[in-house]
Amino acid sequence: MSVSAQAPTVTSRGRRLRSFQVRMRRVGELSRDALRNPTTLLGTIIVLALVLMAILAPVLVDANEPDPYQMPRDFAAVNAPPGSPDHVLGTTPTGGDVLYGIVWGSRNSLRLSLIVVSITVAIGIAVGSLAGFLGGRWDSFLMRIVDVFLSIPELIFALAIAAVLGPAFRNIILAIAVVFWVKYARIVRGQIIRVKQNDYVDAARVIGDSRWRIYLKDVLPNSITPVVVQATLDMGHVVLIGATLSFIGLAEAGLAEWGNLVSEGQSGIIAGRWWVATFSGAMVFLWALAFNLLGDGLRDALDPRTEGR
Amino acid sequence: MQIRQYILRRLMLLPVLMLGVSILVFGLSRVGGSPIGIYIEHEMTPAEIAAIEERYGLNDSLPQQYVAWLGGVLRGDLGWSGVSAAPVSELLRPKMMATLELAVLAGLIAVILGIGMGTFGGARRNRLPDHLTRVLAVSGASIPIFWLGLMLLIVFYLSLGWAPLGRADPNIYTRIQPYTGLYTLDSILNLDFGALGDALRHLALPAITMGIGSTAIIARMMRSSLVEELSEDYVDAARAKGLPERIVVRRHARRNALMPTITVIGLTWGFLLQGTVVVELIFNWPGLGRWMTDAVLQGDQATIMAYVLVTSVIFLLVNLVVDVTYAYLDRRVVLGA
Repeated sequence: MSVSAQAPTVTSRGRRLRSFQVRMRRVGELSRDALRNPTTLLGTIIVLALVLMAILAPVLVDANEPDPYQMPRDFAAVNAPPGSPDHVLGTTPTGGDVLYGIVWGSRNSLRLSLIVVSITVAIGIAVGSLAGFLGGRWDSFLMRIVDVFLSIPELIFALAIAAVLGPAFRNIILAIAVVFWVKYARIVRGQIIRVKQNDYVDAARVIGDSRWRIYLKDVLPNSITPVVVQATLDMGHVVLIGATLSFIGLAEAGLAEWGNLVSEGQSGIIAGRWWVATFSGAMVFLWALAFNLLGDGLRDALDPRTEGR
Repeated sequence: MQIRQYILRRLMLLPVLMLGVSILVFGLSRVGGSPIGIYIEHEMTPAEIAAIEERYGLNDSLPQQYVAWLGGVLRGDLGWSGVSAAPVSELLRPKMMATLELAVLAGLIAVILGIGMGTFGGARRNRLPDHLTRVLAVSGASIPIFWLGLMLLIVFYLSLGWAPLGRADPNIYTRIQPYTGLYTLDSILNLDFGALGDALRHLALPAITMGIGSTAIIARMMRSSLVEELSEDYVDAARAKGLPERIVVRRHARRNALMPTITVIGLTWGFLLQGTVVVELIFNWPGLGRWMTDAVLQGDQATIMAYVLVTSVIFLLVNLVVDVTYAYLDRRVVLGA
């Protein structure tokens, strides 16, 4: 009796393990496919380098005390040009070391993009799944909310939210998260409606699987591909928007953040002090470019119909 | 579904979306503390503050406040701008004209360059021009507009002295009759080509900066749809007839490839409207974007609300026009809807 009760558990665990192995093998194949494209490879290398810089920031540059995310000030070397003995990339008009801002800025960018993308993907999957899986009135109601959010251009919406919340980096994170979840809700809903029509979903229903089980086992895993691509692209896009908001002046003054640094360096440009804005803005560009290249490569690998287009 | 039904459905959805946007905008103004914060001074007594709150109906319930505010908006009352010390609706028109002039030119640059680049790359698939187009397109989509603006400023304003800041030379523009508020159009109507040259010189840098992002998006879409069209049977048939490749691309494939590109062109309007915020800040352009950043930095909620509302309405209307145009061009959209 006890054997017969345990047998199905062992079998289903074995099946889950096998399905996991198959998925992992598929991920490996796709990664190899994607990395064969030179631009994707380039994007991946830059992404890895930037993420590594963010993780190793305390090793690369001594952390400022007590708050490492605030720029340290060297008032004896205000507006120092690049190549100065203690400041390789120069200093800001208030004596902030540009190299410090770039290295710790990468940590802020990683923080911003990881938090925003994980929150928005989670909310988007929840709302999109509800709309796509339940259908009917729920679908219409939730999608009208999504439509309203999409009616306001994203930067302007995020700017307005961050403005009413007050100048702080965490408010920038919150503002972008409020704006970005809708994209995922729409993508997931569309995917779920498409996947729901497949024969294997009908088959699962026939063998008596519950709706929840069908959703978790059959529908969601097969709907997730475009979410992965969008999330990769958004890792770059979020930093672009975040830097724009802090450039306008919505982050704390003196924060080691790339948009903030460009804003600090802006006034010096007229006087020929180009380095602060140039180096820090180039980092935003590099970050967005790398994730765009990687995201494009992933899309090509995951959806062969778009390859080379 | 008939095309009339489709358009009717889209038109009926518009007020629903506008109402939704108005609720969001009103909600925003109540999230960030008191909406009259900008009018309150340190010397005011609690009684004076209470009087202001009473005057603006802040003691009413939130739904009542919303209805009162929406009623005002529908009558054209968008509130009082603390930044400019004037009614928002009065300030709106000249600023909107300044932004419109910039956005239209930036849009034109984006459409011409984007379609040109996309066609050039797509027709030479996997060759050097194609690779270059792809690199430029992905770079254009990744470049921070505020940074690009500053870099162009360093080169063309500081080093070469070609492009001036601001919207126009006041000595030149005051000598002509301002019929429309669009400096380029007014110069033409006055037949003053010196003024036209000045307006265009002022417009060039901000318009190019603003147009780059949209150019990238349009070029990308145009390239991929041209590549798709060039693999269709009718293109092989045209080639088999002995038509030169130039004609095959221009007369056959490009026309069909333009259809999906039109949708993207509509969407890039949102991109352009967003771009005004930083471009106007950098180039000191006296439009809506510059007004918004000033309001943001000074906590002027009436201006922020008006700006978000007006921008969203423009965005919604442009999207409606694009969707309807696209439905006319490609009936499959209507059938599938």
